[in-house]
Amino acid sequence: MAALLEIRDISKAFGGIQALDGVDVAIDAPGIYGLIGPNGAGKTTLFDVVCGRQVADRGEVRAEGRAVGRLSPDRLARLGFARTFQECRVFPDETCLDNVLFGAQDKRLGVEWRQLLTRGMGARSARRDEAMRLLTLVRLDTYADRPAAALSYGQRRLLEIVSTLIARPRFLLLDEPASGINPTLLNVLHDFLLKMYEERPIVFLVVEHNMPFIMSLASHIVVMHQGRVLTTGSPADIQRDPAVIDAYLG
Amino acid sequence: MAQALLEQIINGTMMGSIYMLVALGMVLIYGVMHVLNFAHGVLFMVGGYVCHFFFTQVLDSYLLAILGSMAVLSVIGLALERGVFRRLRDNLRMQVIASLGLILVIQNGVIAIWGPNALQMRITTTDIRVPIGELSFTLQHFLIIGTVGVTVTAIWLFLTRTRIGTALRATSQNAEAAQVVGIDANRMYVASFLIGCALAALGGALLGPLFLIFPTMGDLPLLKGLAAIIIGGMGSIPGAIIGGLGIGIVEAVSTLYIPTDFRDTVVFAALIAVLLLRPQGLFGVRVRGEA
Repeated sequence: MAALLEIRDISKAFGGIQALDGVDVAIDAPGIYGLIGPNGAGKTTLFDVVCGRQVADRGEVRAEGRAVGRLSPDRLARLGFARTFQECRVFPDETCLDNVLFGAQDKRLGVEWRQLLTRGMGARSARRDEAMRLLTLVRLDTYADRPAAALSYGQRRLLEIVSTLIARPRFLLLDEPASGINPTLLNVLHDFLLKMYEERPIVFLVVEHNMPFIMSLASHIVVMHQGRVLTTGSPADIQRDPAVIDAYLG
Repeated sequence: MAQALLEQIINGTMMGSIYMLVALGMVLIYGVMHVLNFAHGVLFMVGGYVCHFFFTQVLDSYLLAILGSMAVLSVIGLALERGVFRRLRDNLRMQVIASLGLILVIQNGVIAIWGPNALQMRITTTDIRVPIGELSFTLQHFLIIGTVGVTVTAIWLFLTRTRIGTALRATSQNAEAAQVVGIDANRMYVASFLIGCALAALGGALLGPLFLIFPTMGDLPLLKGLAAIIIGGMGSIPGAIIGGLGIGIVEAVSTLYIPTDFRDTVVFAALIAVLLLRPQGLFGVRVRGEA
């Protein structure tokens, strides 16, 4: 059977800088996968390639056997890929609830008219209920009717993650979700992600520099260094691996 | 004095409605594509000519001629987005230069087809007078105000209540975030151009019969529409609506106090005042890092 997500021999250079140099990662089962490595290891570039923001110079990305490496971000989104960014991206003028509901919309052409004809109101109120449930889980329910611009940076991060999860992606890539979040919200985020994984076992791929956070969250860790995969393993194994310690300490 | 004021307020609301259409079209395109389409004024002018053509040569119905003009301009908008602006996607400067070049091409194209002289379009609504007290206006004045009111409301509902409208709003707020939730950016660029050009056509088709249809008839609406979106706040739709209407009323009322020749001066003085006092415009948001 084909791997859920297979990243095979991916290379990407920007001018003279080799950001990715033959990266191989195979994810065979749902789970929370941590992607760690020092700054400049190529983690975000790998995310960009998987999500269609960058096209790799070499190699391929396959999702359940299908080559997806050259698809645009919007097509990948419709195939079940979702991501967040290091610099949080929400729709600042929309309310928090609308931000989430927007993520929940079916983007296929004509769906809206079909739903109007078939009285899709039930589906709409169900989406609204689900959006409110998720907002409550990250303690943003009281902000539901306020514009996203009114939120703190950490709250915006949570909103962005909720907005991606409501679309029920099959692959969720989170780029440094814990950065800029205060310790209280960090616990909320940790519990939320675990709960979401319990409810819907999908592939979570999480780039993170906060080691206690990612080690307690992920079941598998992939370590990158200088554009290559240095090693993979369980959090316990990775924390004992001298090569990883060397990579971080230089 | 009160009579004169009322007269100028109604005149100003009518012209302001036209500026509003131009500003709304430009702001939709600017919001989504981040390009100021300086060719919007000539598209407005082409709207007037195409409406005249349909009315005099084909349909003999003003309503159908307006709809025909909007349809033709939508197709032109589609062609411009695909043929010109999409190819210059990552080069904002070239997009601006291309839009300036389009002014020359389109304006001279119109002169080649219809000649340099102004055309007149006689329709019944410009002959029917509507008395208000001692004042009298053409029915076309109120047709313009009413049509623009309905159109702006429809655009507002489209942007806030429909999926494509929401997708347009999302793309204008953060194109990349919109893409990662599954919105096809190319489709949004086409939609914004199509709607913007149809609105320009509507403006030209509404104003044409009241004045004349001539190759430079879109120049002033372009400048006033541009002033409206700067005063309202670049990218802000409520700003474009209020800005357009405000400019129309201010310039009309100013003629009560200063010579008519100076009314454009008043508009651009107001623009300079807003830029000095509130550079982000009335509804704009100051972005960190900007002075």
